[in-house]
Amino acid sequence: MDDLLEQVIHGLTLGSMYALVAAGLALMFGVVRLINFAHGDFFMLGAYVFWWGFRELALPYPVAAAIAVAGMAGFGLAYQRTVVRAVLGRSWHVQLIATLATSIVLTNGAIIVMGTQPKEVPTRLSSAILDIGGFRIAGQRVLVLAASLVVFAALHWFVTRTKTGKAMRAMSQNREACAVVGVDVQRIALVTFGLSAALAAAAAALVTPLFNIFPDVGALLTLKAFAAVIVGGFGYVNGAIVASLLIGLAEALAAGYVSYAYKDAFAYLIMIAVLLWRPQGLFGRRIGI
Amino acid sequence: MARLGGWVLAGSVLGAMPWIVAAAAPGQQRYVLHILVFTALSGALALSYDLVVGHVGSLSLAHPAFFGIGAYAAALLATEAGWPFTGGLAAGMAAAGLAALLVGVPAFRLAEHSFAVGTLGFALVTQIVVTNWVEFTRGPLCVTGIPRPVFAILPGTRVRIESLAAYYWLSLAALGLVVALYRGLTTFRLGRAFHAVRDNEPLAAAAGISPLRYRMLAFVVAAALAGGVGALYAHYVTVLCPEELTIALTVNLLVIVFLGGVGSLRGVLLGAVLFTALPEILRVAPAWRLVIYGLLLLAFVIRAPEGLDALLRRRPGPAARR
Amino acid sequence: MALLEVRGLVKRFLGVTAVDRVDLVVESGDLVSLIGPNGSGKTTLFNCMTGYLRADAGRVLFRGRDVTGAAPHRVARLGIARTFQQVSVFPRLTALENLLVFLQQHQEESIVGRLLRLPRVRRLEAVAEQRARALLHRVGLAAHAGAPAGTLSYGQRKLLAFAAAVMPDPDLLLLDEPAAAVNPTMINHMKEQILALNRQGKTVLLVEHNMEVVMDISRRVVVLDHGQKIAEGPPAAIRRDPRVIEAYFGR
Repeated sequence: MDDLLEQVIHGLTLGSMYALVAAGLALMFGVVRLINFAHGDFFMLGAYVFWWGFRELALPYPVAAAIAVAGMAGFGLAYQRTVVRAVLGRSWHVQLIATLATSIVLTNGAIIVMGTQPKEVPTRLSSAILDIGGFRIAGQRVLVLAASLVVFAALHWFVTRTKTGKAMRAMSQNREACAVVGVDVQRIALVTFGLSAALAAAAAALVTPLFNIFPDVGALLTLKAFAAVIVGGFGYVNGAIVASLLIGLAEALAAGYVSYAYKDAFAYLIMIAVLLWRPQGLFGRRIGI
Repeated sequence: MARLGGWVLAGSVLGAMPWIVAAAAPGQQRYVLHILVFTALSGALALSYDLVVGHVGSLSLAHPAFFGIGAYAAALLATEAGWPFTGGLAAGMAAAGLAALLVGVPAFRLAEHSFAVGTLGFALVTQIVVTNWVEFTRGPLCVTGIPRPVFAILPGTRVRIESLAAYYWLSLAALGLVVALYRGLTTFRLGRAFHAVRDNEPLAAAAGISPLRYRMLAFVVAAALAGGVGALYAHYVTVLCPEELTIALTVNLLVIVFLGGVGSLRGVLLGAVLFTALPEILRVAPAWRLVIYGLLLLAFVIRAPEGLDALLRRRPGPAARR
Repeated sequence: MALLEVRGLVKRFLGVTAVDRVDLVVESGDLVSLIGPNGSGKTTLFNCMTGYLRADAGRVLFRGRDVTGAAPHRVARLGIARTFQQVSVFPRLTALENLLVFLQQHQEESIVGRLLRLPRVRRLEAVAEQRARALLHRVGLAAHAGAPAGTLSYGQRKLLAFAAAVMPDPDLLLLDEPAAAVNPTMINHMKEQILALNRQGKTVLLVEHNMEVVMDISRRVVVLDHGQKIAEGPPAAIRRDPRVIEAYFGR
């Protein structure tokens, strides 16, 4: 029973990481209709910035995390102003290839600069084992789960209560109408990208003490985030979050009870299964034509 | 008539390459021929990919998987079951085609983005399975000792493809076949149907063309061809490892097709020559090569999505020839 | 047996009933106009009839055969042709090729024959090309046969789309706003073409906003409002029908 609970916690931790990344991806697609194949690399870059701040500069954990989040938010803005603006409005082929190419550049750039050796970022919490009601759990995992909840609550508040957030939701439903009504479409797009990248960086700062960082992690994560976004229904942030948790759970349980080697395949298999059964995703709606 | 003459001339020059190379660059012959073999196989693979991406307009990211399935099928049948070359080649093509059929039926029900991601998912799952199912595919230990091709053109004769020059001719013949098939499929009625589905699917349906049927046709044929190229590749390298199936191959194909000229025979061949030969010659480290490819791909897809071929055609000059 | 019969067709979108239990009968050789204010469900009805949308209820019968929910390409092969409200052509193909595409599915042929270009295949293609050129000539586009359709003007593309729909010699022609956004000369041209087709025995059902065209050429007019059929009859009667007047002006 303990073993199962441990796997479930592990799965939820994994799922929270996926959820933070997938939420950003869903936001990008929802608000500006961009398929961002470079999204996982935001996580990867955020992880390396965090590592640099924490290990190389010996900054305290929260400071390093803040730097990573702020840095990636800036990167997200820069990304929107350069690559995204050049391909927005073009065919989705162009968008896909452009963002895929960006991902290749980022991933291999990281290989050149940082090397392929995985980096570790052990923090006090990652080695600390907390005892909660007789059940032992790594402190870092508690942090991941708690922080993710806080982040998602904040995100929900932002999207439903603030002017910018509401504008984002409006844009995801009808972009042309927003432009007509006077919503600053450009600014909202910028905010969306900054926010999405920041979410990925937050995931990185939370999770890298538990796992290693290596340049290829971006590509793997992009695919899993896509799986979550597709399963949840394209553009539905809440759907992506729920789907991510499901995928994380499935992956952990499969790794623990079925086969560790094939664990990565499970996210894709789930995605394929959902696509076969409900092509519009669990929460998406089917539109005619 | 001049057109036919051009083809004959090109064919003769290409066929005589081993001797031309021996004369022009003695001592480098092995290396140059090796590049030529790779280029020919690359070109064939890229053409098969262009059928799907360029002519039917489906951005599939599953192509490396079909290449890999063909390669592994041929390799395993030859090493584990002692199958002859032709049998393995046919089996590789059939296996890849069958996989495409199974993947295509659900995949083509999906909207465009989901199709791309779904096919990418399939490619990744294939890679994971090939890497981890060690009992079957030998995983990271690689399939070794794949024999050189031996087959009979006429009953009773035995052709052994041993030398590099012989392998070059075999690859060239394969490329020639693929080119012929490519042209046959992309011109006249069939080509029109493909292009109709690509350019305006609802209208194509109104014209009585079943978009699913034609997409599947291109997808399955392309996959079978990719499987065939995979089989040839396996017999060439004699050692087959799962690393062949990574996303790097997808990037290569995308670069060749989109920078060369999507939907254009000349463009894709140009792309294959440029992006297979060049990196081999320049001997850049893989990571740097991919960074350069990524930047090129980014630049081209934004500024010149039709590829080099269209660029060259637009500006008649010493670079372009009609 | 009527050529086309629609029984109780219903189509809903996110709570809005776009087509509300519509019945429609079109006899062979008829020339019927489907009119109604914007949003009354005319194009939605077309889309349900031709397989682009799945109806929520009701049936569509063509020559007595149930074609409800059949895929668009199957509907086309049964002999129903349509044009689109947003004029639709294959921009990268030439005008001639645009027409050839519409004929090819109605010719029997094997893939091998196509690949090898057997004599029989070449003959069929020559016949097809002849027909295409004749059609282009008829609609006045003969000079543009070799031009990519994307380079033609809006009116020319409309004519091309019309010619393409006629190319496979369909039994039923569904035209979606053939007179919209074109100049008066073109409108007259279009009217003549439609009338000529009808005289040859082709059945035509058109959706149209241009009342002049509707009144001029239709034998029968069907009026939709808010997805429901509110009136049906000869043009003169419809013009005076109070329900129709109210639908258009009473709000």
